[in-house]
Order: sequence, then structure tokens, then C-alpha cells
Amino acid sequence: MSRYIVRRFLWGILLLIVVSALMFVLFRVLPTGDPAALRAGREASHKLLLEIRHDLGLDKSLLTQFWQYMKEVFFHFNLGYSYYSSAPVKDLIKERLPASISLVAGGAFIWLVSGVAVGIVSAVRRRTLLDRASMGTALVLVSAPEYWLGLIVLYLFAADIGKVRIFPGAGTYVGLTSDPWKWFTSLLLPWLVVAASNAAIYARLMRGSLIDVMGEDYIRTARAKGLSERRVILRHGVRAAINPIVTIFGLDIGVLLGSAILVETVFNVPGIGRLNYDAITHADFPIVQGTVLAAALFIVVANILVDIAYAYLDPRVRYS
Amino acid sequence: MVALMRRLAPGLLAGCAAVGLVACGSSSSSSSGKSSIKVAAGIVTPSTESLTGGKKGGTLTVLNHEDFEHIDPGSSYFAIDYEAVYATQRPLYSYQPNTFSTVTPDMAESAPEISADKKEITVHIRHGVHFSPPVNREVTSADVAYALDRGMNPNVANPYFLGYFESIEGAKKATGGPIPGITTPDKYTIKFKLTEPQAPIVVAALVLPVSAAVPEEYAKKYDAKKPSEYGNYQVATGPYMFKADSSGKVLGVGYQPAKSATLVRNPNWNPSTDHRPAYLDQINIQIGGDTNVIGRQVLEGSGLVQNDTPANSIVKLAYEHYRPQLEISPGAGDHYVAVNNSHGVFTNVNLRKAFWAELDREAMDKARGGALVTNVMTHFLYPEIPGFEEAGGLEGPKLDYNEHPQGDQAVAEKYMKLAGFSTGKYTGSKTVQIVGSTGAPAPEDAEITNQALKNLGFHTHLNLVDQATMYQKYCGNVAEEIDVCPSVGWIADFGDPQATLDVPFNGKLIITNGTNSNWGQVNHPKINKAMEEASKIVGVSARATAWAKIDRELVEEAVAVPYDWDKQPSIESKNVAGVGDLWNIGSWDYSYTSLK
Repeated sequence: MSRYIVRRFLWGILLLIVVSALMFVLFRVLPTGDPAALRAGREASHKLLLEIRHDLGLDKSLLTQFWQYMKEVFFHFNLGYSYYSSAPVKDLIKERLPASISLVAGGAFIWLVSGVAVGIVSAVRRRTLLDRASMGTALVLVSAPEYWLGLIVLYLFAADIGKVRIFPGAGTYVGLTSDPWKWFTSLLLPWLVVAASNAAIYARLMRGSLIDVMGEDYIRTARAKGLSERRVILRHGVRAAINPIVTIFGLDIGVLLGSAILVETVFNVPGIGRLNYDAITHADFPIVQGTVLAAALFIVVANILVDIAYAYLDPRVRYS
Repeated sequence: MVALMRRLAPGLLAGCAAVGLVACGSSSSSSSGKSSIKVAAGIVTPSTESLTGGKKGGTLTVLNHEDFEHIDPGSSYFAIDYEAVYATQRPLYSYQPNTFSTVTPDMAESAPEISADKKEITVHIRHGVHFSPPVNREVTSADVAYALDRGMNPNVANPYFLGYFESIEGAKKATGGPIPGITTPDKYTIKFKLTEPQAPIVVAALVLPVSAAVPEEYAKKYDAKKPSEYGNYQVATGPYMFKADSSGKVLGVGYQPAKSATLVRNPNWNPSTDHRPAYLDQINIQIGGDTNVIGRQVLEGSGLVQNDTPANSIVKLAYEHYRPQLEISPGAGDHYVAVNNSHGVFTNVNLRKAFWAELDREAMDKARGGALVTNVMTHFLYPEIPGFEEAGGLEGPKLDYNEHPQGDQAVAEKYMKLAGFSTGKYTGSKTVQIVGSTGAPAPEDAEITNQALKNLGFHTHLNLVDQATMYQKYCGNVAEEIDVCPSVGWIADFGDPQATLDVPFNGKLIITNGTNSNWGQVNHPKINKAMEEASKIVGVSARATAWAKIDRELVEEAVAVPYDWDKQPSIESKNVAGVGDLWNIGSWDYSYTSLK
């Protein structure tokens, strides 16, 4: 098992190197990818461009630049500086990570619990009104774009612009450590929106998976042994049916940590996704590179955690 | 020679929705003042706002979708940057909010003295202005000189310094050290020695933030960093300062990029030395969020303004239900179709005139929001810029190809025939290369342009790219020889006609090895010569007359096809007495705005 984990970590590092290389090349071959021109502003003279290119080392060969970049990233964890604010990218990401973690963790908790619960109930009460209502609602939520859903809940429930003014609206996020209650209330609406579509997917997935599992021979055996139906479902059915959920849960969290752009924008939560979005709109490439690298890191780590969880949940899986 | 000015920033100008707002510019209109630009009844313009009598105290919250680009006065060059920079810094001269033609001495004590040969400028600066903590000491002329010196420091990367101040002795070769042509004979006097008689434009450019004092002994260590970090440790001379810790650090304290900024009172500011009333105690700027949400928060909330462009739906909402909370600023720049005067089919002036006549400029303006936020552009000087009225005002020059903004096929055919196409349609083999921009409403600009050219018989190739690519890679790259760029636009850096016409239309300023802003590669010797002469003229009125004449010549040569004079919408909460800056596309001025 430990050899497997080490091997996955090494693969993860290789993946990060490849992602860094791709980002590096991409931003230098794109038509807008002249960092000197972006740093210099809209009306820069040729002389100024040359000077900035020299200062940033852009007059060196591409290979030298790439080596410098990789060296800084992997040996010094230096992701460079924003073209506009001159702030270190590492600090910007570090500063925004708590907001992204808060958003994703709360949302993930809601969608996992509600999605799995609804999926189980739907599978157990198959073809009943409850099942149809649950799956119908899930279909609606899956189809609802997050951006649209965010606007709707704000127009309905936000304390400043809503029709029924219950929850704090956009731009009210505060850090957990500065005011836990405000942190909690400011994230309620974003959590619900993040959770909505994911919960719906999980519910449908759980339902389908559990229906399949409940038809397996070992479930019949469990019932024949006289186990209670509750125990059969939860101990034998759900445990096996939850494997696909675990797989996508880890990946979803990894992806969302770096790219909850729409929800972060609508609710003005200063997370990494929004940092990335703002950087893209300003062509602030060091930040884009940094946030993409961070997102890749989240996904790699999440993948490894998923594989470990898989081994725990499914005894057939052998990693040695 | 002179000049490099601001292009329209991405997303800077939008407007109300095309659908449902065709009646935006209602029939009951009021004049905004000098330019006779009309806005709908009941809507405030910067020209008509009161600058006095605001209530003292309170905190204004600004909700901005966009972040600052640069808060360092040496490199800021963006409308949103300017609102913070002009509240915290004092350039030698500045504009009061309701004018784009009359400057007021700011750090300077009085008007500049210009020598008879227009090669020497003397400016006396005020006594008793102090830097904010931790510097605290009085500002001297050496601080202004250092601020200007750093304009040539590549670590600061000022985008316009060389354009306006190139004629200062030694400026071209400077790299951040002292510029020989800038001297300080005493603590309160600064002198500029020029190699050419360019004093009028150098003086005009002293309203730009690069002339705001910077203390060398404090800033030098930050300016040595690549890039300079002075912006993140800056000190203020204006009524407000970015909130900072005791060491002067702003980053992470008073400014968190893409998140928030806080302006607090500068304890060392002396109101008796400043034209700004500075009513507010504090300005909290929240950055990010969705413009649809921000707009509603501002209109329905209290103590809020939005200082970037509201969403189209919000402008519509404000116009219909919150009209007193909507401000429309004329003189917010322009948009025109650049046609290549130096290469390809449009070197023929009659083909340019035919295209001008054919283009449905009214449709292009409707795509931008209609009459509430646009006026059909009929010549190149825009409203509020001196010379606009002399050049023909709203109606523009009476020329047949300029008469019908909805397009006139008969006139277009006339010029096609004059160009040698007897059928009235283009029968040549060349394909017209059009490069437009993505992001509404630029694709509509491109489509309408494309259709007009097809109507004239041209084969076209249309390419849409993001705005930065359009400027850097295609329209601003001479070697690409693009025929038509439908979505280029301009905002003058200061209220001077030269700042509006020189760079986009002076053939001597075409840059072949950098980012060129004469997108149509307009290069007519007679016009170039007239511009050179007009640049030496001193006095607002005389300059207006001279440049209006040049404007007329540009129209007669049909150097580009103008279609939109922008009017910028801004919104505020009911209890905010917002004052917008006419000179800065109507953005709210924190130093004049107050709470009711």
C-alpha cells in the first residue's frame, strides 16, 4: 500500500511538472502572451518593452527561461509576481485558499449527505411518488446552471436585494477566524448553490448504483441469513454502492477548490476560482499559471486520497 | 514629437440594453452644458452636479466588478485606478469634476510660466503640503522631479511618459535616474528645459498622475525592485491614503488585490491647500462580484456606488425605476472603424467615402445601447474636448457621406463609381481583412461592418479575437496590414484636442516596431504638417480652432469611419450625493462625493 502511495505521489509530481510546462509554453506562444507588453501597459514604447524584457529575463532563450521558471516553482515555491499589483502570486493564493476551502467543504458536506440520503431513499422506495419527486427535482437541479441559480437565490433570499430578505447576500463573506457566525451565515446561500447540482447528480448516481447492488447475490444471501432490511441496505448495499460516489467526490472537491468561479463571482467570495477568473480577464499570466498549478495540485492530492479511501471501502482492491 | 494616449479599456464602456431602450434618449432632454450633448430628462450629468455643500463624514462603500490595474501613480493608466490615485495623490495640475478643459493648480501653486520660445517651463509648487505617514515631511520640488524621473524607470513601466515628455532634455535616454532637463532651483520651483517648442503639450500632460510627488529617500528601495513595489508601500499627498501599517505597507492592509481596498483620511492633509472638499471619512472598495448583483445592491441599498460600468440590464432598471440614481457622462470617448489608409484597397479615398456612406452607424450605436449611452459620431473630436463645437458639434461636417447615419446606398454608389467601379460595386479581386473583437457589443460592430462591405461588393474575411490580441497582434501591428478594424476607440488622456487626434491620425507617430495606435495607418503629409504646427499653439481657444480645422480635414479624407460618441452610465444609492468626473468618463470622484 505504502509503495503504491509513494508511486502515486511521484506520478502526481510528474503531472504537475507537465502542467507547468504546458502552461509555460502556452502563454508564450499565445498572441497575447508577451509578458513585457502586458506589464508595460497599453501604450508602451519599443524602448520600454526592450528594457522590461531584459529585466524579466525574457530576452534569454526559451529553454533558459523554462529552467528558471521550473527552478523557482519547484525549488523555491516562487510562482512569480502579478503584472498589475506586483504582489507575490504565492501570497495571493495563500490568502484566498481559506475562502475556497470554506466554500467547497461546506457545499461538499451538504451535497454528499443530501445526495446520498436521497439516493438511498429513492432506491429503496423505487417507483413510488417519493422516488419520482426526488428524481424529478434532481433533474431540475442538474439542469439549472449555477450562475443562474445563484442569481435566483440572491433575488429571492438575499438580505439586501431579495424578495424575502433572510440570508446575507453577495459580498458579505468574512473569514472563519474573524467572525465564525458571520462566516457561517454568509456562506449559507453559496453552499446551497454549490451543493444543489452536485447533490442531484449524487442522488441519481447513488440510486442507480444501489439498485444494481441490491440485485446482487450476496444481498440475497444477507437477507437469507435473517439480517434486518436496514442492516442489509446500509451495511451491505450502501457500502458497495458508494464506491463510484467516492471516486467522483474526491475529484469534484479537487476540481472545485480551484475552479468554483461562477459561485465565487456571483456571491463575491474571494476564492481561488475568482482570482483565476480576474487574472484571465486581465491576462495576468503569473496568477493564471499559479492558480492552474494549484488546481492541478488539488486534483492530484484528491485523486490519491480517493484511491486510499477506495482501498478501505472495497476489500477486493489490492494495492500491494 | 508627442503623444500617446489611453485607448478604451476592455469593458470600460457598455451601455443600456439594445432591446427596450431605443427610447433611452427621450424627447424631453436637457443640455449637459458646453457640448450640447443631450441626456434624458431627470438624469444627472457631471456638468450639472453641485461641487459644494456636501455633508461631512461617513463611509462610502464602492462595489466594483473590476480590480485596479496599478495603484502606483507612476504607472496607473485606467479609469478605475484614477479614482483612487486622484483621491490620494496630487499631480501638479488637475481637473475639478465638472470640466475637461479647465485645469486647476493642484500641487502647483499657480499656472505654469512658459518661455516665449516654448522651450522652458517653470512651475512653482505649494508650501505646506505634507506626505502621509510614515514620511510625514513637507513636499518639495525635488519630490516632483523624482516622480517624473521614475517615469522612465523600466521597473515602474509608465506607459505614456515618453509620449508626452520626450521633448524634455535627456528624457529619451533616461532610465530612472535624474533627467537633465528637469531642475529644481529651490525647494518650491521646478523647471523643464525642452529640446523642441513643445511646452503646450508638456504642460497639458502635467495633469497626469506621474507628476504626483514621490519621496526619493523612501521610494528608492522599492523602485529598485523589478517590478517596482512602491505602489504597495506608497505614501499620499491627497486628502485620502490607502490604509497602511506603521511601515507604510499598503499591500495586504489597505489593498488586497482582486478583493478590497480601503481609503482613509490622510492625517497630514491640509484642506487649505487643496480644491478637493473631501467630505467622506472613509471609502471601502469591494472588488469582484457579478455586475447584475452589484447593480441591484447599489440601487436598492444605501451608502453605495458602483465605479465601473454597470450591466446593461442594470442601466435599463435604473433608467426605468431609479432615474435620480443614474448619472450619464458625455465625453466618455469614442469608437470608430479604422480603415487602412496606407495598404490595400482603402488607400483610395473614394472607397473610404463609399464605405462611410454605406455603413449603418445608427445600427452600431443601437447595439451599444442606443441614444441613452451613445451619440452617432460624425467627426473625430468628441464632446467636452475643446474644438468639438468648432468642428461641427453633434451634426458634424455637412458632407454627403456623413449625412445619413443609417447608411445611404445611393451616395455609396456615387463614390464607388468615382473610385473607378462603374457598376457601383467593387469588382476587384482583393479580399478585405477585418479583425474585430469578442465580447459584446464588438461582434455586432464587426457583423454590421462586414455586411456594409459585402453590400459594396467586397469579398471579406472576418476574424474575431479578444480585445488585447486585436490591438497587440493585429490592428496595432503595422506588418499585419489589416484592412478594417471595426471596434477601435479612444479616450483622451486630458482635455486637449491634440490628445484626441494626434496619435490615432498622425502619420509621423506610426510605430512600426511596437504597439501602434494609428490603427488606420493614416499618413497624409498635409495633415501631419498641420498637426505639427497646431501642437505648438498655446491657449485653449486657439488650440481648439486649429485642431477643429484638422478634424475637418480628417473627415474630408475619410481617414476612418466614426460611429459612436460614448456616454458613460454610473449608478449610486439613494442617499449618496455622487459627483462624477467629466474628465474621467464620469467615474465617481471620492474627494467630492458625499452622503446625504
